[in-house]
Amino acid sequence: MTYPYIVWLALFVVAPMLMIVFYAFTNAGNDMLVFKFTLENFTRFFQDPDFLRVLYTSLKIAFITTIICVLIGYPTAYVIAKQDENKQAVYILLLTLPMWINMLVRTYAWKGILMNFNISSEFKVFVGMVYNFLPYMIIQIYTSLAKMDKNLLDASYDLGANKMQTFLRVVLPLSIPGVISGITLVFLPAVSSFFIPKLLGGGDYVLIGNLIETYFITTGDWNFGSAISLIMAIIIIVSMYFTKKIDKRIGEE
Amino acid sequence: MRKLIEFRNIVKSFDNQVVLKGINLNVYENEFVTLLGPSGCGKSTLLRILGGFLQQDEGTIIFDGQCIDDVPAYKREINTVFQRYALFPHLDVFDNIAFGLRIKKVAEDVIDQKVTRMLSLVNLEGYEHRNVTLLSGGQQQRVAIARALVNEPEVLLLDEPLGALDLKLRQEMQRELKRIQQEVGITFIYVTHDQEEALTMSDKIVVMRDGEIQQIGTPLEIYNEPANEYVAKFIGESNIIEGVMVEDYKVKFDDKIFDCEDFGFKENEPVDVLIRPEDIKIVGRTGALMKGEVKSVLFKGVHYEIIVETISGASKTVTMHILSEHDTYNAAENEKISANDFFVDLEDVNALDDFNLVARANAQAWDDEENNLSIASITHNIENKVGTYDCTFKTQKNTEITIKVHVVAPVYVEDAKKNIGISAFDFFVTADEVKESMAISTDLKTWASAEAWNLQDDSEIEITDVKFDFDTADIEEGSYEITFATQGREYKIETTTVHEEGDKVGLKFDRNDIHVMSKMVV
Repeated sequence: MTYPYIVWLALFVVAPMLMIVFYAFTNAGNDMLVFKFTLENFTRFFQDPDFLRVLYTSLKIAFITTIICVLIGYPTAYVIAKQDENKQAVYILLLTLPMWINMLVRTYAWKGILMNFNISSEFKVFVGMVYNFLPYMIIQIYTSLAKMDKNLLDASYDLGANKMQTFLRVVLPLSIPGVISGITLVFLPAVSSFFIPKLLGGGDYVLIGNLIETYFITTGDWNFGSAISLIMAIIIIVSMYFTKKIDKRIGEE
Repeated sequence: MRKLIEFRNIVKSFDNQVVLKGINLNVYENEFVTLLGPSGCGKSTLLRILGGFLQQDEGTIIFDGQCIDDVPAYKREINTVFQRYALFPHLDVFDNIAFGLRIKKVAEDVIDQKVTRMLSLVNLEGYEHRNVTLLSGGQQQRVAIARALVNEPEVLLLDEPLGALDLKLRQEMQRELKRIQQEVGITFIYVTHDQEEALTMSDKIVVMRDGEIQQIGTPLEIYNEPANEYVAKFIGESNIIEGVMVEDYKVKFDDKIFDCEDFGFKENEPVDVLIRPEDIKIVGRTGALMKGEVKSVLFKGVHYEIIVETISGASKTVTMHILSEHDTYNAAENEKISANDFFVDLEDVNALDDFNLVARANAQAWDDEENNLSIASITHNIENKVGTYDCTFKTQKNTEITIKVHVVAPVYVEDAKKNIGISAFDFFVTADEVKESMAISTDLKTWASAEAWNLQDDSEIEITDVKFDFDTADIEEGSYEITFATQGREYKIETTTVHEEGDKVGLKFDRNDIHVMSKMVV
């Protein structure tokens, strides 16, 4: 029964990844069929301060986007989770409604709106990022708040905790797993997003996603593009590893 | 004893449905009070109002001389053990128990001491740093109790705390809870629907029904002198018989007058009489207060539960005629047809349309491949008076069979004393139909159109007894008697001596085992 899945995984997940790894460690030889194994793509990336600056900016943008999403998303999710059950469904529907429209189209719409304001391109990128990724954060936190046993709140009041103490000692710790998965869902796409900075930030705003796009599509240097992709993938894997660890530590506490 | 809590006329409704209809109740210091009743009787609601999680619509709660209606839950000197424990999953056993103390900013070394003492009170030493979600139900229960008690409340509320545990653990926890209550010496208010639990642990039981208190009393009072039929039924297995209080100390039921110890009723007041199953003794037929026949014997582990019928129900006996195969075979068309003679009540003749004739006669036809054929025409000369008539069923290709329809005068028995009417008809079936029956009693009732009803209001009464004396597996042509009967007066008896079904026995009980209760006002 599992064979179709294995075939599917092999074809659409493992094979492309292996190809990226393969490209990243090779350079096109003289002949079409000859490949040369090399680490040159990586040394080139890490020796060029411009590339490192792009990496830094990407991480910074993704990080700040995530923080803003948590700060806006948590209170929103909390308020929604406090409503009657049928109202909650309506709010969640309204929240996800824009997602029925293609992300690219929505970003173009923002481009049109933001054109009228005299603000920095960095700010425009933040607006686009937060707008696009906020629902993921809200839904994750909302889910963890909504499935919380309401008796736990009564138990906390019963033991003498007032509303604030109950929030800090019961609600917040129990919603941390939701926050963590929200962070994962926002940070990962934010760090590799390329069309939001491209559309809203204009040409002068290059993030690592744009860099990969350029090397694959404009320059046609698939090897270097693959190397950047691989570096990105490693950064993502490492950050996921750490969030998992934090999640686990909080779970144990 | 000091009065600790006073509920004054508590009223509460949800969505226009009144769940508490004016509850008045006093709870004293160090009492183990149980609110007992089926789900939906309002017992949990009352507890949640006391805990401060719900606000009553009307009425007042006085706690230790103070009105606490406007005191929020977190300021009440009351702690609760919740139905599903509601332990904090992100905290270990120690931190769960310490939760309330930390809120009160108690010094850590004091917390250490208190939590350790609580853990030993609930027999969970060494479990301090276990994950609460990995504990068994019984252990979670103990943590929940410790978490509540560590705050040294004046009252502990327990909302069906043992509901999720299995029987053995539940009994263990019942003893445990009683021990803890006696040891810490505070008031426990316990909510349950389990009468055994209530009887085992409580000092005082409050029986509730539909938002009203039915009776307040000690377990012994509630058991021995239930206020009414509802309490009696809820609190244990019982025989409840309609009776009449002839005069003080004399009650009449089952057509006899018995001496009893109850008084203060009106002369000839209709009452309910309760006799507990364990208070009835089975004795020989001489010197017995009642005579009856053993209807069923059920082994219940420690004792036998024996049902004795003292007065039989209304009954009607009919004859079942077993016929030989009576298919008609039409060789020319290769078709078969069959139908049975039947009896019909004069009153029902008018209702005999074609559809009914086919059904009552069970008329069926087949072709050579056993496919069912429809009955194309029916001819008969049935008249609306008593007699025997011919009825002929025909298929499309003129394969036919003729049966007899017996129109008879109504044949029901009225039992005026028991207020029951019962009717059933003689009937014809083939041996195969009996042999193929999956549920013979039900089929016999259908074939005989047996039914019973209340003579006063025409409501249907179940026919519980179908008696016959043949073996369905190898029945042959002939006539058989079948008796249909409604349920008679039955007594449930608990005894350790075994009796056989059908034994003729006598019953005996003492005058103080007869408990007379007022009729319930519905």
